[in-house]
Amino acid sequence: MQRRYTFTNYPLLLAGSLLFIIGCKKQEYELPTAEKKLQNDVIKRTQGPNIVGQSIEFAYAMALSPGYGKLVSAEVEASIAGATGTYLENNSYYTNQGGVDVGVPIGQPSVTSGTKTKVMFTKDTSAATLRYFYLIPAEARGKTVSFKFSAISDDGEAVSYSMGPYTIAKMDMVRNLTVSNNNSAYISIADMAVYNAAAATTNAAKIDLVYLYRNITTSAFNHALVSPAADTLYLPGVTLPAGVNRSTKMIKVFNLQDYNLAQLQYGIYIDDLDFEQLNFASTPNFAINLKAEAGVWVETADGKYRAYIYINSVNSNGSAVISIKRLAL
Amino acid sequence: MKKYLPIVLTMLLAACICLSCKKDYPVDEDGLLITTRAECYVSSFELLGSDFVTVRVGAAVVDTTAQTIKVTVQFGTDLKNLYPQFTLASDCKLDPKITGKTDFSNLANPRVYTVISGNRQVRKPYAIFITVQPR
Repeated sequence: MQRRYTFTNYPLLLAGSLLFIIGCKKQEYELPTAEKKLQNDVIKRTQGPNIVGQSIEFAYAMALSPGYGKLVSAEVEASIAGATGTYLENNSYYTNQGGVDVGVPIGQPSVTSGTKTKVMFTKDTSAATLRYFYLIPAEARGKTVSFKFSAISDDGEAVSYSMGPYTIAKMDMVRNLTVSNNNSAYISIADMAVYNAAAATTNAAKIDLVYLYRNITTSAFNHALVSPAADTLYLPGVTLPAGVNRSTKMIKVFNLQDYNLAQLQYGIYIDDLDFEQLNFASTPNFAINLKAEAGVWVETADGKYRAYIYINSVNSNGSAVISIKRLAL
Repeated sequence: MKKYLPIVLTMLLAACICLSCKKDYPVDEDGLLITTRAECYVSSFELLGSDFVTVRVGAAVVDTTAQTIKVTVQFGTDLKNLYPQFTLASDCKLDPKITGKTDFSNLANPRVYTVISGNRQVRKPYAIFITVQPR
């Protein structure tokens, strides 16, 4: 017997479709109801490598429902005590119509004792966001640091939030050193400093580079960083102080505007790993015709340091501003 | 007959698919297409330093008859760490391949790169002559 399909299931199909259509309801959005209990949250505001001497910034938010209590204190505990200058804000900020952040004091200035930094609230408030600035100490170099944020309300309720661990970079940094022709022209990577000729004689063994500017019409010399031991072709008119004779390996780069050094809009960060992966085989010991936003990777003659020297700005009067990141190998 | 109709249709469809497949062009050992083009020349040449900025003083002079490329580089150029860039005729390739930094410091013995045509039948070596600008 042949089975013939004569749409006997048609009404069933129709009923099912109708049920499906009627059953799908658009759910109206409802504002979530805040929990009554004390809550907290933290965000880390700074980016890039954590360098000794710089700060790590956090925003710590704590709140409970209005009418159910008020905040009494906020505290941050770091696994390694911060350097002097570590503090927890005691102002709560709002942005006025002019777009300016206005601080309203809501507590006493923070008190840091060892690894703990605390603010006692003096204003009745059930919600606040306080900024925490941890100044990275030298003791933390190469280690990791963790943080515990905590808040207490007037009914004794306490909450906490842990952040980290964060690795602290091994490298150092110095910004905005001025170098000038025949004056502050002798650069020491070990000291992260610039010397004039007299000081260079005293520190001869530590002078790695000479800055010079030459306006030569037959070739593009301009601003240059040259090793004292480089061919005299690259040190025209330079009389080196006695004992200044090191050879520093160099790699010229462009378009590497490290944010910490350049403070420009580029989100590029040089970290410890970048120094460790450099290859200085068969690189020269001079770099001429440097422009603003150019940079030079260097390795000192004794192999103790690698550094990145960034050219912040140049001046045709024979000077420049440089910033240095350095890693001790 | 009706029973065999789907089978016959399927076989016809398969036959159509097979016939419609076009023959592929051959590729060489580098996976590049071998075409029918016999043109074989360098149209331009660029030389970049370690900072990926040009080190040339003026355009490189390409002589397709003598098969030479003459380029003057800036005073103070690090000749051991340069990045050459060739613009070749359509479908050509270069031998040896450029894989990274190249040492051009031996000015007495210029480096030679061979251009190979699209049909892989024509090979023309080009010598790179570098002159360093005096200070």
